[in-house]
Amino acid sequence: MFDPKISLSVTTDGDPLYAKARKDGIETVWERHEAQQPQCGFCDMGLSCRICVMGPCRVDPFGEGPQTGVCGADADIIVARNLCRMIAAGAASHSDHGRDLVEVLAGVAEGSAIGYKIRDEAKLKRVAAEYGITTDGKEVLTIAGELADAMMEDYGMRRKAIQLVDRAPQKRRAVWEKFNLTPRGIDRETSEMMHRTHMGVDNNWVTLLLQGMRNALSDGWGGSMIATEVSDILFGVPAPRPTTVNAGVLKADQVNIVVHGHNPVVSEMVSLACQSKKLLDLAAKKGAKGINLVGVCCTGNELLMRRGIAMAGNHLMTELILSTGAVDMMIVDYQCIMPSIGKVASCYHTKMISTSDKAQFPQMEHIEFHPGNAEKKAAEVVRTAVENFTNRKGTPFIPVEPQAAVGGFSVETILGALGGTPEPLIDAIKAGKIRGAVGIVGCNNPKIKHDYGHVTLTRRLIENDILVVDTGCVSVATAKAGFKLPEAAAMAGPGLQEICKALGIPPVLHMGSCVDNVRILVLVSALADALGVDISDLPVAGSAPEWYSEKAVTIGTYFVASGVTTHLGPMPPITGSMNVVKLLTEGLGDVVGATFAVEPDPEKAAIFLRQTIEDKRKALGLDSRNVA
Amino acid sequence: MKHVIIGNGIAGVSAAEAIRELDAKAAITMIGDETFPPYSRPMISSVLEGSQPHSKLPIRPKGFYNDLSIEPCLGQRATAIDILGHRVVLADGSTVGYDRLLIAAGADPRPVNATGLELQNIFYMRTEAHSAAQVAALPGATKAVVLGGGLVGFKAAYGLLRRGLQVTMLITSGYPLSMQVDPVAGQMIMDEMSRYGLTVEVGVSVTGFTGSGKVAAVETDDGRSLPCDLVIIGKGVLPCRDFIPRGQIAVDLGVVVNEFMQTSAANIYAAGDVAELIDLARGRRWVNALWPEAASQGRVAGYNMAGRQVAYPGSLSRNVMRVFELDVLTLGDANPGDTSGYEIVQSGGPTSNIYRRLVIKENRLIGAVFINEIEQGGILRALIENQVPLRLPATKMVRRGFNFGQLV
Amino acid sequence: MNQVVVHPERCVGCMQCMLACATAHSQSGTLFGATLEQPLPKSRIHVGAGRFNEGFPNRCRHCDPAPCQAACLAGAINRVANTGTVMINPDRCINCASCAMACPYGVIRFHEDPLGPPNRQIAVKCDNCSSRVVRGLIPACVEVCKTGTLTWETVDDAMRRKNREVSRAMSSGGPGQPAVPDGVALLKTIKQAELEIGER
Repeated sequence: MFDPKISLSVTTDGDPLYAKARKDGIETVWERHEAQQPQCGFCDMGLSCRICVMGPCRVDPFGEGPQTGVCGADADIIVARNLCRMIAAGAASHSDHGRDLVEVLAGVAEGSAIGYKIRDEAKLKRVAAEYGITTDGKEVLTIAGELADAMMEDYGMRRKAIQLVDRAPQKRRAVWEKFNLTPRGIDRETSEMMHRTHMGVDNNWVTLLLQGMRNALSDGWGGSMIATEVSDILFGVPAPRPTTVNAGVLKADQVNIVVHGHNPVVSEMVSLACQSKKLLDLAAKKGAKGINLVGVCCTGNELLMRRGIAMAGNHLMTELILSTGAVDMMIVDYQCIMPSIGKVASCYHTKMISTSDKAQFPQMEHIEFHPGNAEKKAAEVVRTAVENFTNRKGTPFIPVEPQAAVGGFSVETILGALGGTPEPLIDAIKAGKIRGAVGIVGCNNPKIKHDYGHVTLTRRLIENDILVVDTGCVSVATAKAGFKLPEAAAMAGPGLQEICKALGIPPVLHMGSCVDNVRILVLVSALADALGVDISDLPVAGSAPEWYSEKAVTIGTYFVASGVTTHLGPMPPITGSMNVVKLLTEGLGDVVGATFAVEPDPEKAAIFLRQTIEDKRKALGLDSRNVA
Repeated sequence: MKHVIIGNGIAGVSAAEAIRELDAKAAITMIGDETFPPYSRPMISSVLEGSQPHSKLPIRPKGFYNDLSIEPCLGQRATAIDILGHRVVLADGSTVGYDRLLIAAGADPRPVNATGLELQNIFYMRTEAHSAAQVAALPGATKAVVLGGGLVGFKAAYGLLRRGLQVTMLITSGYPLSMQVDPVAGQMIMDEMSRYGLTVEVGVSVTGFTGSGKVAAVETDDGRSLPCDLVIIGKGVLPCRDFIPRGQIAVDLGVVVNEFMQTSAANIYAAGDVAELIDLARGRRWVNALWPEAASQGRVAGYNMAGRQVAYPGSLSRNVMRVFELDVLTLGDANPGDTSGYEIVQSGGPTSNIYRRLVIKENRLIGAVFINEIEQGGILRALIENQVPLRLPATKMVRRGFNFGQLV
Repeated sequence: MNQVVVHPERCVGCMQCMLACATAHSQSGTLFGATLEQPLPKSRIHVGAGRFNEGFPNRCRHCDPAPCQAACLAGAINRVANTGTVMINPDRCINCASCAMACPYGVIRFHEDPLGPPNRQIAVKCDNCSSRVVRGLIPACVEVCKTGTLTWETVDDAMRRKNREVSRAMSSGGPGQPAVPDGVALLKTIKQAELEIGER
């Protein structure tokens, strides 16, 4: 095989593993992306509509062909409806993930979720109190049951508003009330979004998009937030701990089990099974020096945050990690699991296990995990993985040494590090040592050179004294680039460097998985409250430099609706309507005090984000710099 | 005006058509060894392999000579050119006078030096008559030996394999088609042929043939005797130049012509397999004995003979072959021996079943090999022929999605 | 004489022309029916990705003189005198691919075709939808194109229209290129940027 030297990744392991995959005849996401070119321009611009069967329809962007669908919907309506359905799908995904955790919580209360327990009673009580549940003198399990019930009600439509919007600053809640954006129920807003986008319901592209924001908020301050909070209650509030990242975390001489997906319900149990003496003994008998559990994607982030479990890679690395030939088993739950990976694994000895009743994949063995059987099933699959160790074909190809990193920055631990209040951080911002903060979140996308957006943007921001917090696939990229060590302060500008050194923290803080973006909402709320301002007044911004998924659309939208101006790398499918483009990139500023901006080039995006932050500083009466 | 064309292959036929296109009245005489109507010489390999019947070979109507008012002089070869006397001497001693002469005499199979050549079932592979004889000898034949691994030998071996024979190919170079393709492609092709029963013997040549009446074995220079019941000699071709007065017409390997297809002698032109002219990829004179080249050169020679000055920019080697499951396309100088000063870009290879190789010199494409997915090959041929600097990185041109749209 | 004129700058890469072409060259003549045929009909127009992954509809130009015709070993390619359409005679074609080597646009494909001889691969390319045009229909690719990339008109008309568009854009929109809708231009800029940063 002779493939022209192409670099698809800025990571040290990406290109060599890609070359290995190609040598092994594996088709990857990059080949499939190339085979899809040119991608349909109607779809790319949001101008095709498949909502009803009078259609399908499309609108000619050049103005000569059809300008409306069969129903009469014009480009604005079609684009808005399509975007809103993406938001609904993203909200549904995160929120359904949250519901699965609430079910485990309920199961723990009933005693049916064997092996699970309440790991953080204090957090349980804090959250229960927010839901108006009295905790004094109650059994922990009783509180858990009541909280699970109350959260389940948030999914329904019993109340005027979902509970956790109360965490937002007063001023923000006023904005939401004013524009009717306060989410009333998690499932309700998604249902209503789907209803409104049915043919012949809401045909005002502005009100459609406003419902899109309310739907996104029902995820950000609802489903996702519940997912994070309940995960903390069940598995512990994350605290900083050392870990390692990149393909080098796989061990040639150990049984390698990779967990992939999003939900910690399965991976936590697998993690426990990997420590079982019996299974470790079996591994030794098979000639393995241990059982090495690592993660990819967000289920990996969940384990990293709470247990310091190593991360082998992010979204676009999932196929390449298999091509090491070192993975004895990959266990998946749901979301962002490419249906191609079963086929990739079939080129090696790797056993592929799907675990969720709602997510099955080609060429994987389906072993369904439920809260009631998870402990038992976890032991079974880990045993299978150990037994598979001796089936390896040839020597694994592990081209790099692992990179050290620190993860686990929950809001609780960040505030803890600051001495219990956000004041030291606010002082640093006021003094201009830290200009502001940016939450970099989201995925990988073959349209953007792998991790180039994440790494470049992060580097430029910290160089300019902007604190970066990140989640999801970004957090793996920046950890691999070495930004997640206290020593990385040396890469930061002088002000940020000083603060990082004083607190002993890295300039880039790992805040978790993609549902954990809500930790950023809680953090900015705390900052706003401390300053007595709205979130939109803060010198903060968001960015998704390499996003691909519907969940990312929802996250971006709840960031903006919460007052955080957000940059996107790839363009969402909206350019068919310049009205929609203008509303999202300009008009929303007058509604929620924040907008979207799209820029694939992270160098230019860095300038935009710095400018945004300096503008906010100026409006707050703080010193502001000129951004070249 | 009296035009005489030596040769009734595609170069001669195309020249005659071009002359007639411009001049309805001129006299045209065609001298040809073969008496069969104008036919597609490359298709004789299709006849051997059995994919096309012999009856499909003609590519001009039966009345071709008559329709174009051409005086055919068939069944004999030219033996000399009397330049001062403006006439061509034929084998029977008769002469044909000309005002303008086209030498389109083509090429003959390269002979082998071995004993026993008179035995039956030993064939060359050049004419429709050869292919008819080969096909007639197939019933009962099971084991064949093919001499030569160039284009002719290769097609002979392929045809015999398709007919279900066991074939042993004796070659002197390292792998079949070594003039056309690089070692990677050569290996892919050889592997494919081997899967269908080809045995290749490298560095072996023939000293003689044995048998009683019919060939029964091939004697090799390493002292072995290879049993066989059919032999095809396919060691390439040599321009027919014996009858050309060397002192008066410049001859190298072939008859040297300029861009107007003129030889060094006034009013004498040459085209096709006999002609040697500048090769666009190599930048020097070369004999590209190829059918599409002959057709184009003949046409241009005809125009020039009829008085319309048309330049032929140069020749280009090119070939496309279907080898069982492999489609192979080669263009230009695809395998320069010494690659210093060249940029070589490759993609794919044996494990991916797709292979692309580009040879670039001074940012101009000069050669290419494609194995499978060859549909875009013509774009590359145009790039080589037009000698334009490449605007698209070569690494993109070897990708599967490469298409014409990327050049505009 | 009307012919298919291609305006590649308008192609959005939706590939509807490919579906329509394959359907038009099927036995059943319907999209769903065509997908069930054996052999499957295939498109004669090929939407490839341009340098910036924009759509590029590529079809036979019916060149004059036609290099494929000159290169055909079997004499299977000829030009229909009154329409100028270059046609491949499926019965004479020997599937040798010499035409692929000759075509400077790469528009000839080789496969078994529902309208060709059974169980035999042949060279296939655009026939200007001759069988539709004689029935008073326009070529299938033009009929389905919704962006005006493929039009059925005389080359003169196409040129005149283009000149008018350019002059209108010049007089109204100030100096510069003919007006491209803002959304189209925006998406194109983004795509180019994505590719450009990939090469850093």
